[in-house]
Amino acid sequence: MNEASLIGLCAATVSFGSLLYLAALGEMVSEKAGILNLGVEGMMAMGAVTGFMTALEFGNPWLALAVAVMAGALTALLHGWFTVVLGAEQVVSGLSLTILGLGLAAYLGKNAVGRPPGAVLAPVDWPVLSDIRWIGPVLFQQSPMVYLSVLVGVVVWFILSRTRTGLALRAAGESASTADAAGHSVVGLRLAAVAVGGGLAGASGAYLTLSLTPQWAEGITAGRGWIAVALVIFGAWKPGRVALGALLFGGTLALKTRLQTFGVDFSPILLSMLPYLLTIGVLVAISIRARNRPSPAPASLGIAYRREER
Amino acid sequence: MNRPVLVRREQVLRGGQPRSFAIGLVVALTIGIVLLLGAGHDPIAVYERMFVAALGDPDSWSVTLNRAVPLGLAGLAVAIAGSMGLWNIGAEGQILAGAMMAAGVARIGEGWPGPVLVTAILVGGVVGGSLWALGPAVARSQIGVNEILTTLMLNEVALRLVQWLIHGPWKDPDSFNFPLAPMIPDHGRLPVLFGRAHVGVLIALVVIILFAIAVNRTAWGFELRVAGSSGATARYAGLSLERKTATVLVMAGGVAGLAGGIELAGTADRLTEGISNGFGYAGIIVAALALMRPSGVAAVALLFGAVQIGGQSIQTMGVSSSVSTILQALILFGAIGAGVLSRYQIRLIPGDPGGNEAKAETS
Repeated sequence: MNEASLIGLCAATVSFGSLLYLAALGEMVSEKAGILNLGVEGMMAMGAVTGFMTALEFGNPWLALAVAVMAGALTALLHGWFTVVLGAEQVVSGLSLTILGLGLAAYLGKNAVGRPPGAVLAPVDWPVLSDIRWIGPVLFQQSPMVYLSVLVGVVVWFILSRTRTGLALRAAGESASTADAAGHSVVGLRLAAVAVGGGLAGASGAYLTLSLTPQWAEGITAGRGWIAVALVIFGAWKPGRVALGALLFGGTLALKTRLQTFGVDFSPILLSMLPYLLTIGVLVAISIRARNRPSPAPASLGIAYRREER
Repeated sequence: MNRPVLVRREQVLRGGQPRSFAIGLVVALTIGIVLLLGAGHDPIAVYERMFVAALGDPDSWSVTLNRAVPLGLAGLAVAIAGSMGLWNIGAEGQILAGAMMAAGVARIGEGWPGPVLVTAILVGGVVGGSLWALGPAVARSQIGVNEILTTLMLNEVALRLVQWLIHGPWKDPDSFNFPLAPMIPDHGRLPVLFGRAHVGVLIALVVIILFAIAVNRTAWGFELRVAGSSGATARYAGLSLERKTATVLVMAGGVAGLAGGIELAGTADRLTEGISNGFGYAGIIVAALALMRPSGVAAVALLFGAVQIGGQSIQTMGVSSSVSTILQALILFGAIGAGVLSRYQIRLIPGDPGGNEAKAETS
């Protein structure tokens, strides 16, 4: 194990961590408002393919990112329409959204498979900072998406915990009838949260196809949407803890392709089970502790709200 | 400002779930036409090809029936849990676990006579699937761990376990270093009924009918449904929910695992990471369309089987097979919409954001 490969590992941990963090933050916002969206994988795929194709067509990575965010949000709003407005089962609708998103992405991107990218989000070279030994290559030579994910994390934390809108949003997720009685539009808040969640999942997908692995292939999301769902639980619905979890889970993704370089004789495939197993462990721990203190999950998560049935 | 509000209909529209389902199908096919036109294909020709390939002659029926088997069993695995109000999102992983155990049995029992080996493979599938559901079952019944998330996480774990097996310990030495598990022995394959349809079709049908009877017509099934509609009522009636929760989830896992065994010995012939092929997730749609009733699962599974087989056939026309994936999800969304709108109607109500008029109108 040499210094260069260790730096490479740390840098990749940050990259993968940001990828997961963006999608997980989106899912967290949605769940905070009470809507479980198991369609992350599908929304991510939609963002990935639309971003890549926009870049092919127009050659502008920022336009591509914007389109990916829109595509993710629109996909999510389908889930929003069915679960928030019509009150359909969130689990069924979300999983169908994954299936629909993966299918649509494959359909749309058929002719983009294997093509070189039209544009990429090139790494930012920070003056002075990027030259610092160790820290420079790990933190200051990353794709703009990494800095964006940190920014989004701070904004989400601020809105959720420091603003009235955030309070109303959390109320919609904890007790929808209370939020309603307080004069907030539960439908509006939940739809907005679902759309934000989709937009961030779309951005995460675009990070994949515009920066991390700048190409499009069917199945490129490779189950990372599920890791994002897991991360929200692992991070106990808190932006800070989700960030730590994202680095940890991102680390396993980064390590997966590097085990052999480090001469570690352990199957990378088995290593990639770790995020899921850790999340199950956290779920069990939450339930055991729930006997003494309340679960960190939003109380109305997964429950449809129909005013006349309250 | 006018706001749309859902208002409960005084009378539920007639036709029930078959009507919603038909509407879903029409909605899906219509959107499908738009998609196909957008990509420059002739929708009528594509749909015709799909229909002929899936249901055109006995041979295509046999392939469609084979495909309906894992879809139906996965749907049943979701519906059994669903009739008790539990979510089994783990059919995908349970199918993989069943296939792994079945493949393990096939490795051990290479020298056994045909009927013994086939039976052992299928039993292996059931055991594998049950074991995979055991953890979530115990966790849910003993300490109340949310089964949606545990079963979901275990899908990804099962997938990686299969990958590990076929990249490592079970890699076929004759596969020229490709990550392929060896074929199961010929005498371990499921007997053929007609065309390519194997005996798994009958087995699945029998299992679905047995569970439909058990859930709809027995005291056990009644308790299950009571627990599903209201846990409080069930506890008041003195039913032990812990035990039932665990049993039902393990049974559901066994049913999905059986699908894994049947796929191994019926169509795949070797353990692959694609052996579950999204059946577990499609099964959730199947069960939702059947309203979590085991009795409705078979019909929906047959239709989905036809859509999937039809979808494969249009690749030769240069149309992406993902059309069938899209159609399946759209059928569900269309049917959910139709189902909700048969019970509610959308009214535009003028009012303030608090919208108290809406409440006045419905109460």
